[in-house]
Amino acid sequence: MIPCTDFIAAYSELFKYLEQRGGPEAVQDFWDYLSDNFLGNLRNLVENHGIRGCWLYWQHTLSEEAADFTMELDEDADEFRIIMHHCPSKGRLLAWNHIAPYHNYCGHCDVLYRRVLEPMGYTYWSDLSRTDDAQCELRITLTLEHSHYS
Amino acid sequence: MPREVLHRSATDNEYLHKDFHGALSTGIEYLHRRYGAEAVREYMWQFASAFYAPLIADINTRGLAALREHFQRIYEQEGGEFSITLSEDSLSLDIQGCPAVAHLRENGYPVAELFYETTRTVNEAICEGTPFQAEMLSYDPQTGRSLISFTRREL
Repeated sequence: MIPCTDFIAAYSELFKYLEQRGGPEAVQDFWDYLSDNFLGNLRNLVENHGIRGCWLYWQHTLSEEAADFTMELDEDADEFRIIMHHCPSKGRLLAWNHIAPYHNYCGHCDVLYRRVLEPMGYTYWSDLSRTDDAQCELRITLTLEHSHYS
Repeated sequence: MPREVLHRSATDNEYLHKDFHGALSTGIEYLHRRYGAEAVREYMWQFASAFYAPLIADINTRGLAALREHFQRIYEQEGGEFSITLSEDSLSLDIQGCPAVAHLRENGYPVAELFYETTRTVNEAICEGTPFQAEMLSYDPQTGRSLISFTRREL
């Protein structure tokens, strides 16, 4: 068994393996597959609870991942935001001296979540400029034509 | 509704996100379908050789006691039922129920057909370059129950 505490290393090494086999396109293809086949819980929560579904989803996952984060939900404005002060996944990859992270490791988050949320009428914005310090930010808003203000 | 804010520090929670087993199972299934069974084994081997390099070095220094500590750590932290029998030249690991497979089944995640390679190939790769060899003697795909033997290689 690969324990869940070692999963991040296995995940990063899978991206490297796929890139060896088929280039960045192979990694992208896997991320699309993972989004379509593994994120049904996020999709269901947003279908059932609207923007609050994001809050419910990340409250659970980020707590179990022992992340250092601030989450904000404004249902009146249909806006959800995460400020990741220290990502446990990227933080672990940076802390391990004997393996290097996949060069675009943090790209998977953007692809996986965007692919679920944008077809549901949400705008997904993320700032990945500080991932070398295990920090990032994401903001999800209801796209204007879907908003109850329009 | 007022704006809600939640702040959590790393020390507020234990790092134990078992849904990661679901993501790994999905990854193994993808690799199997897209590139074949040998790709799953090749990937597992590459991962284990690289990531468990410090453990492999420890086995070369301290023998099977290092392996016993590794298994105790990973199965205790996930609440697995297991027993280990250790002698100077052999270690027997009896997993009564794999916590990863149990989590997948309990939460309705598909269990990849080759999920057992996270046990078989990973253990074989860890033993490569050490005086020991790993052999998976039995495996139940429904529960992940398995019996794994580690013995000293014959010269």
